[in-house]
This record gives sequence, structure tokens and C-alpha cells, in this order.
Amino acid sequence: MADQANFERDALQYSRQLYSAAMRMARNPADAEDLVQETYLKAYRAYDSFEEGTNLKAWLYRILTNTYINKYRKDSRRPTETDLGDVEDLYLYRRLGSQDTAEASRTTEDRVLDGLVESDVKAAVEDLPENFRMPVLLADLEGFSYKEIAEILDIPIGTVMSRLHRGRKAMQKRLWEFASQRGLLPDDAEKP
Amino acid sequence: MSQDCDCGDAQDQIYQYLDAELDEATATSVRSHLDDCSGCFDSFDFHRRLKTVIKAHLSEEMPDSLSEKVRALIHEETSDVRPTSG
Repeated sequence: MADQANFERDALQYSRQLYSAAMRMARNPADAEDLVQETYLKAYRAYDSFEEGTNLKAWLYRILTNTYINKYRKDSRRPTETDLGDVEDLYLYRRLGSQDTAEASRTTEDRVLDGLVESDVKAAVEDLPENFRMPVLLADLEGFSYKEIAEILDIPIGTVMSRLHRGRKAMQKRLWEFASQRGLLPDDAEKP
Repeated sequence: MSQDCDCGDAQDQIYQYLDAELDEATATSVRSHLDDCSGCFDSFDFHRRLKTVIKAHLSEEMPDSLSEKVRALIHEETSDVRPTSG
């Protein structure tokens, strides 16, 4: 059992990471701050029940995720499970790699990877339906393992894998659209 | 892509490889495929770089005041002798 007296020392080190995730969930600073504060308060109150030596970071993310879902899903009236349209595997790479020569493809890949700006990437994630956005955030922003993501979101590991797979494809499609809007694609490239 | 190896399998495993989710034997066979196959190597390299770009762009600078707010909240909770609600 964890001692509440150690909570600050042990748990507060994750606040910067939690805030990044909270921003991508809530999409604005005021709600993100609220989410982080509520997460820490709940975690502190429940810290007695936290088993020391287990995964504290994952436990905090679980509380963050549940807090977000309980707080905002009620308001949004969005369905809890949304589906994505069908998107080809390795969507972005396949399109960037369709140039005449390998060298031309490589140049386009470099230009797109260097030219995508922060707001594009953030929008591409934030546009994902919630059930896809969460696994993508936990994997690509936080680097959690599939098993940890399954525990945080309370879904089977196979579901984590399929949502990650499909969420990342959908995200790549959005990045392709942004790359096109920013003029990063060659004139003869297939456009969205 | 080279003919004597299974590019399809490798391409299917890109993200599991980059996410470090493959068992050691499978990861080793993917690595040895990448040594032989410049097409797959290029694709893996692109996805590795994409993952790095995404992670870098998703991070957010936390306002300094938030740490203090969280600390204050916990201290308030610690000193609060009344039963808490919600």
C-alpha cells in the first residue's frame, strides 16, 4: 500500500506528460488544467489503494482517461464508439513513395516530414474519434506498451492493436491533406 | 525489394517493430530482412521518422502555475478534516 505522504514525491513528476495528454483530449488549456488537477486529486484520495511498486504512471493515465471520459462524454452526446472509414495501410508512405524514382520519393518524404508543423500534427490527432485518439496518444505521445494501453483503457489488447492500426492510418490521411495544403507535394503527385 | 524474403510480412510488422512489441526472434528476423532489403528499410526508416515527428509535435509546454495549483490542492486536501464529497 502506498503512503499518501509520498504522493507528491512519486506522482507529481508526471504532471508535464499528463498535461500534454490532457491538452490533446480536452483540446484547450483551461479544460486541460482542470483535468490534470482533478486527476491528481482523485489519485491522491485513492493513493492508499495504490499498490506500491506497480505502474504509477499508467495508473495516473487511467485516472486521467476516465476523468476525461466521464466529464466530457456526457456533454458531447457523441456516440462512445465511432468508426473510421476504410483507409489503405501505410497511407502516407505509399503516396509519398509513388514518385518516378526512389530519389524523388525520398526528397518528398523529407520535405513532408520537415514541413509538417505542430498545428497539423495536433489537429490530425484531435480530429480522430475518441476511441481511436486515446490509443494513438498513449502509444505515440507517451510510448506506453500495448499491454499498458489495454489496462489504462480497459479494453482487450487485440482491440488496442486494431484501433492503433486504424487510428494511425486515419491520422496519416489527414497529414497527407495538410501536406498538400502546405504545398509540400510535388506538382505531379496524387492529391487528396 | 528483394525476392527471397517476405516484404509483405515485414511491412505488416512495421509498427509492432517500432513500438518494440515483437518478440526477440521475430524482431531479429525483421532486422535481418531490413539489412537485405532497401525498399523495406526505406519504409521502416520513414515510419520511424514519422513517429519521432509526431511525438515531438504533440508535446505541450505546461504552465508553471499548474504544478503549484496541484500542490496546493493536495495540501488543502491533507489539511481538510471534513469528510470529502465527490
